[in-house]
Amino acid sequence: MNKLKPSAAPVAPGRDIKTIVNASLKRRHAAERRFRWYGLIAIGLGLIFVALMFTNIIGKGYPAFWQAYVQVPITFDPAVIDPQGNRDPKAIETADYAALVRAGMRQLFPAVQGRLELRALYGLISSDAAYELQRQVQQNPALIGASQEVWLLTSATVDTFVKGNIDRTLDETERLVKDNQIEWIDKLLAAGKIQKQFNTVLFGNGDSREPEQAGIRGALMGSFFTLVVTFLLSFPIGVATAVYLEEFAPKNRWTDLIEVNINNLAAVPSIVFGLLGLAVFINFFGLPRSAPLVGGLVLSLMTLPVIIIAGRAALTSVPPSIREAALGMGASKLQTVGHHVLPLAMPGMLTGSIIGMARALGESAPLLMIGMVAFIVDVPKSFMDPATVLPVQIYLWSDLPERAFVERTSAAIMVLLAFMILMNGLAIVLRKRFERRW
Amino acid sequence: MIKNKLALAATATIALASTAYAQSARDYISIVGSSTVYPFSTAVAEQFGKGSSFKTPKVESTGTGGGFKLFCGGVGVQHPDISNASRKIKSSEIETCAKNGIKEIVEVNVGFDGIVVASSKKNKPMPLTTKNLWLALAKEIPDPATGKLVANNAKTWKDIDATLPANKIEVLGPPPTSGTRDAFVELVMDHGCKEFDAIKELEKSDEKKAKAVCQTIREDGAFIEAGENDNLIVNKLVANPNALGLFGYSFLEENLDKIQGETIDGVAPAFESIADGKYPVARPLFFYVKKAHVGVIPGIKEYVAEFTSEKAMGDEGYLSAKGLIPLPAAKRKQVAADANSLKAMTP
Amino acid sequence: MSTTAVETAVSLDNALSTAIGARKQSSVEVTDYDSRQTVGKITVDHPKMICREVNVYYGEKHAIKNVGLDIGTNEVIAFIGPSGCGKSTFLRCLNRMNDTIPICRVTGQIKLDDDDVYDKSIDVVQLRARVGMVFQKPNPFPKSIYENVAYGPRIHGMVNNKTELDELVRDSLERAGLIKEVEKRLDEPGTSLSGGQQQRLCIARAIAVNPEVILMDEPCSALDPIATAKIEELIDELRENYTIVIVTHSMQQAARVSQRTAYFHLGDLIEIGDTDQIFTNPRHKLTEDYITGRFG
Repeated sequence: MNKLKPSAAPVAPGRDIKTIVNASLKRRHAAERRFRWYGLIAIGLGLIFVALMFTNIIGKGYPAFWQAYVQVPITFDPAVIDPQGNRDPKAIETADYAALVRAGMRQLFPAVQGRLELRALYGLISSDAAYELQRQVQQNPALIGASQEVWLLTSATVDTFVKGNIDRTLDETERLVKDNQIEWIDKLLAAGKIQKQFNTVLFGNGDSREPEQAGIRGALMGSFFTLVVTFLLSFPIGVATAVYLEEFAPKNRWTDLIEVNINNLAAVPSIVFGLLGLAVFINFFGLPRSAPLVGGLVLSLMTLPVIIIAGRAALTSVPPSIREAALGMGASKLQTVGHHVLPLAMPGMLTGSIIGMARALGESAPLLMIGMVAFIVDVPKSFMDPATVLPVQIYLWSDLPERAFVERTSAAIMVLLAFMILMNGLAIVLRKRFERRW
Repeated sequence: MIKNKLALAATATIALASTAYAQSARDYISIVGSSTVYPFSTAVAEQFGKGSSFKTPKVESTGTGGGFKLFCGGVGVQHPDISNASRKIKSSEIETCAKNGIKEIVEVNVGFDGIVVASSKKNKPMPLTTKNLWLALAKEIPDPATGKLVANNAKTWKDIDATLPANKIEVLGPPPTSGTRDAFVELVMDHGCKEFDAIKELEKSDEKKAKAVCQTIREDGAFIEAGENDNLIVNKLVANPNALGLFGYSFLEENLDKIQGETIDGVAPAFESIADGKYPVARPLFFYVKKAHVGVIPGIKEYVAEFTSEKAMGDEGYLSAKGLIPLPAAKRKQVAADANSLKAMTP
Repeated sequence: MSTTAVETAVSLDNALSTAIGARKQSSVEVTDYDSRQTVGKITVDHPKMICREVNVYYGEKHAIKNVGLDIGTNEVIAFIGPSGCGKSTFLRCLNRMNDTIPICRVTGQIKLDDDDVYDKSIDVVQLRARVGMVFQKPNPFPKSIYENVAYGPRIHGMVNNKTELDELVRDSLERAGLIKEVEKRLDEPGTSLSGGQQQRLCIARAIAVNPEVILMDEPCSALDPIATAKIEELIDELRENYTIVIVTHSMQQAARVSQRTAYFHLGDLIEIGDTDQIFTNPRHKLTEDYITGRFG
C-alpha cells in the first residue's frame, strides 16, 4: 500500500479532470432530471386512476346513504289488527298491515280510482311498510285504535326518482315511474311529505331483493366473524411458524423445501384454497356450508403464508447484535426469542398480518366454493350461521337488474374501502409507533 | 413444538365444531344453482321468510352445473334441498343423483327468461333474424356460391344483408360458462345455421361436424366476451352505440331508457311476446326439489307452494315484476298442482 | 498495585515507541516468517481457563489451528493480530458463542476451572452465565437502563425480591462507573445513552450476573478516545474481581490494559507472553512486524 506514489492520472494531454467532468456533467444532470420526470409521471398516473375510481364510486354511492321516506296517515284500525279485541300476539302478528298502508295511501289521494291506478299508487310504498307497521304495533300495542302520521319507506323506484336518477322527460314507456306516479310524487314533495332521511336500513338490515330494504349488516357481521376466525388461527400459527423457521429450524433441505412451499402458497390463486376448503372442511370434516367458521378457515389458509413471510422478514430485520447480547447473557434460545427478538419483530409481524387480513377481507373467490356466495336475509349471530361477506355482497348486488342496486353496490364498496383504509392505516400507525432504529 | 400444539388444537376445534353441527339439524332451506334463477328464487325466499314462521332460505348463486353437482352430492343436512336451473336437468346429472341415493326429484318449471339482443337507444333499431345473427357470429360459414365452408370475414352488418346498416359487427356477450350463452347458442345459432342447405347436407354426412359448425362462435373480435355481469354489458352498450349486447330480459326491462331490444325474426322482445312463445329466444327456468328432504328440513313444501302460487309466478305476481316471464295460465295450474303434490320426475 | 493504569499505559507507550524507533536493532529469536510454532510460555500458575489443541472450522475453512493457551485468574489477557487472524473466533469459543453458527465446528479442549466447556454435560446457559461477554458494537436491549442490567439476574433467578434486584442493579452500575450518569434516568431506554455510556451499560449488564470471566470483543472500536479511556480504566478496576479476555485492534490499548498478550496470525497463535515483553522485545519476526506497524 505505502508503495503507492502520486503519479499523473492517465488523461489526454491538455485536458485536466475539471474539463472532463464538466463535459459529462450536463448529460448526467439531464439523465437525473429525466428520471425524476418518469417517476412523477408514474405517480401521477397512479393518482389519477385512484382519483377516478374514488370519484366514480363515491359519486355513484353517496346518494345511497340517504333514503326517501313518505309520510302516510295511518289509522291502526282495531278491526283489522285485532278483530277479537283480546290483544292476542298471534293475531297481531298475522294481521293484514298492508291494508292499513293501502288505506293510508287512499287517504292521501282520495281521487285515485280504478284497479290499475290504485296499483300504481300502492307501488310508491315499499313492501316493507306493512312489516314496519307490524313491528311498531308489536312494540307498542297501545297504538291500536290510534291514528298517526307514519314515515314509511318508499319503493326503490320512487327513491331513485327522488334522487334524480330517472329522467322525467323520457317517454312514459321508457321509464319505470309512470306519469301518474310522477304527479303524485310531485304533490307529496311539494307538501313535504317525501323526505330523504339517513339510510339506516343500509346499515341495519341483511340482504333483500327489494333495493330499498337491502342492507349490508349481514355481510358486515359475516365478514367480522370470518375475520375473527382467520385472525385467531392464522396469527398464532403464522407467528409460531415464522419464529420456528427463522430462529430454531436447522437450515437443511427440508426447511428449504418448506420455505419454497410457503412462498409458493402465497402466490396460489385464492380459488384453489376454496376448493381445498370444500374438500377438507366441508366434505371431510362435515362442517356446514356458508358458515363463517369455514370461511375463516379457508381465508386463514390463504393468509398464513403472507403472515409467515412477513413474520420472517420482521425477524430477520431484528439485528443479530440483540440476539448475541441476550445469548451472551446466558439467555436460552427461547428466552432470547421471547424476551427480545419477538417483541422487536412484533410491529412488523402485526403490519404483515393486518395487510394479510385486509386481503382476506376483500376476498370473494374462495368463498364461492364453500357456499358463502349466497342470498342470506338473516344477520348471522354466530360462527355457524349461514353468512356472506362484504365483497361477495358487492358482487351479488352488482349482478342484479334493479337500477337502485347500482348506488347501493357503490355504497357497499365505499364501506369496504373504508375498512381497508382503516386496516392499512392501522398497519402504518403500528409501524410508525413501534418502529425502532439501530 | 408450539406449532404442533396449535395445529392439534385447531384440528380438535374443527372436529368438535363438526360433531356439534352434525348433531344439530339444519332449520333453514338450502338452495343452490343458476344465477339466472337467483333473482327470482331470492325474491320468493324473502317473501317466504317474512310471511311464514320458517327461517328465510339460504340461496347460493353457483351456476346451474355447480348447483346440480352440490344437489346430487347426497341426502342429508349437509346437502342442499333445492337446485335452481336455467335448463332442464341432464340425464348424466340424474344418474349422478341416483348413484348418490337421490331417487326422487321434483321438477318445477317456473317460467321463462327471454334473451335479448339489445343496443343503445342512440342507434336505429336493426331488425335481425336468427340467420343473420348466425352469419354474423359463426366462425365458419358456407360460401354463398359453392356451399363450401369458409372462414367468416363479414366486417359489417351490411356485408351480411344489404338491408342492414354498415355498422361494424360487435356483439357483447357472456362467456361460455354462462347459461345465457348456452341458451343463445341453442336458440339462435343452432336455428340460424339450419337455414342453409350446405349445413343440412353436412348434418346428414357428419352430424358432429355440423353441430360444431353451427355452434362455434368466431374469435376475431366480432363477438366480445364481456363477463357474466349483465349490468356491465348494459353500460358498455351505452358507451358504444354501434355494439349489440346479449343478456336476460329483466335487464332490458330495467333499462328501457337507455337501451332497446332488437326484433328477432320480426318479433320484438316484450313481456307478452315471450310469454306467448312468439319471441324465439326464450328458455324455460326450473327448480328441482330433493323429495327425500321434504319433512326433514322444515318448510320445503311451503316454499314450493309460495313459489308456485299465483301471487308469485302468476301474470301479475311479484316475480313478473322482477322480470320473470310467466307460464301460460293452464300450464301454470298444472305445474302448481304437480309441484304441490311433489310429483317426482319419471326416470 | 503500585502504579495506576494510566501510568502503566504511559510507560508502555514509551516502550512501544522505543521499540518502533529501534526496530533496526531488534534481535528476534524466530526470523522465519513460515514458522507457525507458538513462541512463549502458554501456561500460567493459576489458570482460570485452559485451552489445548483448539481447532475451529467454518465449513471447509480452517479458522483456528491447534491453539493452546492458559488464561490466568484475575488477569487481563489481550488477543491482538491483523484482521481475520482468528482472535475473535477464538474468543467466541470460550463461551461457545460460535454454537450459533451452524457451519462452525470446534475441536480440542477448553476448560473453565475443572469443567470442559465443550462437554455434553455443560449447558451453554450455565457457561455463558459464568463467562460473560461484551461486544464490539454497544448492544443494549431496547429497554430501560434498569431493565438492561436487571435482565441477567432475572432470567437466572439470582434475586428473591425487588429490593435485592434494585440493589444489584445499582451495584452493577456503580462498578461499571455509570451510576452517577444514569442515577436519575434508570427508566429511560438504554439506547438513549451515548456510545461510551452504552458500552459501560453493557459491561454493567455483564457483571450483574457476577461472571467469573468477561470476554470483550474489541469493546472500544466504536468509541471516541475519551470514552475509550474510561472503559480502559474500568477494565483495570474490574481485574480485581474478574478474569478478562479482551480482543483489540489497538496495540496501545493492549499495552495499556493487559498483563499478558497473545498474538494471532492467520489462525495460528504466533506468540504469547507478558505484555511488557511482547511490546518491548518480541521474539517472533511476525510479532515484531505487527507491533512496529509494518503490516496490519
